[in-house]
Amino acid sequence: MTAQRAGAGRPAAGSAAARARDTLAFEWIKLRSVRSYAWTLAIAAVVTIGLTAFLAHTVSAAPHSPGGGPLSSPVISFLAYAEYGVLPVSILGALAFTSEFGTGLISTTFTAVPRRWAVVAAKAAVVGAVTLLAGEILAFASFWLTQAILAAHHRGVSLAHPGVLRGVLSAGLLMAVCAVTGLGLGAIIRHTAGAIAATVAVIYLLAALCLSLPSPWKADIGRFTLAFAAYQLVTLHPQAGLFSPLVSLLVLLAWPALALVVAAVLVSRRDA
Amino acid sequence: MSAPPAPGAAIAIVGVVAAVAIGFAVLCLVILAQSATVRYLPKWGWALIICLSIPWGGIVFLILGPVRGMPAVTAEYPKPPEPAARPPATQSSRRPGTSAAEIEVRGLTKHYGEVIAVDGLSFVVKPGHVTGFLGPNGAGKTTTMRVILGLAAPTAGTALIGGRRYAEITRPLREVGSLLDANAVHGARTAQVHLRAIARSNGIGQRRVTEVLELTGLEAVAGRRIGAFSLGMKQRLGIAAALLGDPGVLIFDEPVNGLDPEGVRWIRQLLRALAGEGRTVLVSSHLMSEIAQAADRLVIIGRGRLLADTTTEQFVASNARRDVLVLSPGSSDLAGVLVARGATVTPEDGGRLAVSGMESAAIGDLAAEHGIAVHELVPRHASLEDAYLDLTSASTDYRAGQAEPASQAVAQ
Repeated sequence: MTAQRAGAGRPAAGSAAARARDTLAFEWIKLRSVRSYAWTLAIAAVVTIGLTAFLAHTVSAAPHSPGGGPLSSPVISFLAYAEYGVLPVSILGALAFTSEFGTGLISTTFTAVPRRWAVVAAKAAVVGAVTLLAGEILAFASFWLTQAILAAHHRGVSLAHPGVLRGVLSAGLLMAVCAVTGLGLGAIIRHTAGAIAATVAVIYLLAALCLSLPSPWKADIGRFTLAFAAYQLVTLHPQAGLFSPLVSLLVLLAWPALALVVAAVLVSRRDA
Repeated sequence: MSAPPAPGAAIAIVGVVAAVAIGFAVLCLVILAQSATVRYLPKWGWALIICLSIPWGGIVFLILGPVRGMPAVTAEYPKPPEPAARPPATQSSRRPGTSAAEIEVRGLTKHYGEVIAVDGLSFVVKPGHVTGFLGPNGAGKTTTMRVILGLAAPTAGTALIGGRRYAEITRPLREVGSLLDANAVHGARTAQVHLRAIARSNGIGQRRVTEVLELTGLEAVAGRRIGAFSLGMKQRLGIAAALLGDPGVLIFDEPVNGLDPEGVRWIRQLLRALAGEGRTVLVSSHLMSEIAQAADRLVIIGRGRLLADTTTEQFVASNARRDVLVLSPGSSDLAGVLVARGATVTPEDGGRLAVSGMESAAIGDLAAEHGIAVHELVPRHASLEDAYLDLTSASTDYRAGQAEPASQAVAQ
């Protein structure tokens, strides 16, 4: 990764670029050296790939349902399950901060890098990059596995089909979005259990609440939630009442951005 | 495993089982949420769901992992032997005589809600000395250090290092090394990786990591997880981290805690060696005895206020009472003779005289010279610890509502 390359040719003086590289490397070493973070990615992989394969098998066995429903569009159904793989990844994001607050290691981190917003940015960059990479690998792996199973029943779609590539890429992005949102909430809340609860609320509960609203509000309010935005991006047929995929992408990115800005402000103002 | 069962192992097992159950519940909800799916569930579907639930147990380790003293981690790794402390040689590139920065605290006040942790504190820590930062528990030592290190914002006043706030230093670890809490580490990392990460944050080379590991006698356990370390070893790891940047200013909060007598001696030698190289060394402690042998300057605080800012020598001279208790049948004659020779005489219980300003031998000689019988001649020492306790208890008395600040009597 970038952090490994940064070791060579580093200027001795504390130029802004050198400091940024060092802060990134600091966070990268910390992330890489705790085995439990690798665990989260493993859990995400098992849950996502296992569920999509399971669903693909179930779908392929089902008769065609002309009336629609989740089974009629194989792409939606597999990507909907990617949503459940994001939970372990969001926990990873939250832990990147809460484990340091919990142990008191945050004091060491902030004495090493007193510009606290830079710590927030570096953590977000490292966690975001790792989870984006993992997310895209998982999304494409799930997609090809699903299509391999469905193709045997002549029900698959190709990556070239309109909207499919966007859907698969967005499913991978969703992992990074959820992880960075979890990271921001971890910095804001500082306690592991609270941060995980808040992350689950932001990712799942807000959307679930909106679904229970009466009809015009359901879409009007719901389209601002992370889950609705993700749905619009991964589906082959975006719903009319919701935002377009492009605006949904902005909504999707606004959540982690908002969490990070609030986190950077709070972390800088509060005593460590 | 022959290791005795860790007390928290049962909690961990219950946690893992709970996590698997939660994972199972989540997956079942996922399946049932799309009711159409259930109808086409293959025969092996439920077995698959159970298999998919198992990795959720890992989440327990994710959440419990950073918790201090995680039993599952410590039970697996037996405690490494306490490495032998070696005489300090700081392997510094610092040239003796080059002067490091001063720590300057001016009018520092820190409130936590209603609680006043530090109250108008001012002192200067000079390079080339070990400065002991003393006060009872809760006196505000740690808060003051956290403000100096930019971890807490002062309510009023300033704390500067070399004329700058800590946050303004570009590569802080190269100028200021600190150890606040030796337990503030992630138990899952090895000592080596912990130090490597901190070194990298300030562009410090890997060779220095090896150097500080050797210096603190941790090279044999460098590859071990910190979770298996004793408190004494964690203290050394914290000191190693503080020395990474070969800084001119060193701030240690209670570094002697948890160390065995040999470790305490090692720290004292190290502190003196660091100051001898011209560094500014500030070391806090709540026990005078821990610090008096190493520190040549003392800053003593109580309830967030300065009680004394002095050299250890001066503190001993002005605070450690030394007198001789004399019992004599001719005590009034003896008192007259002693006062005439410049001693101070105070009557005590039982007709005894407390004589200060004269050694017991001189008192005996003087009595013999004047033909006065002496029945008892007992030299008395009030220890430094007593003097310190007198001083700090006075600050408590003041807080309890005395009109006159007792601290003024001893503050230099």
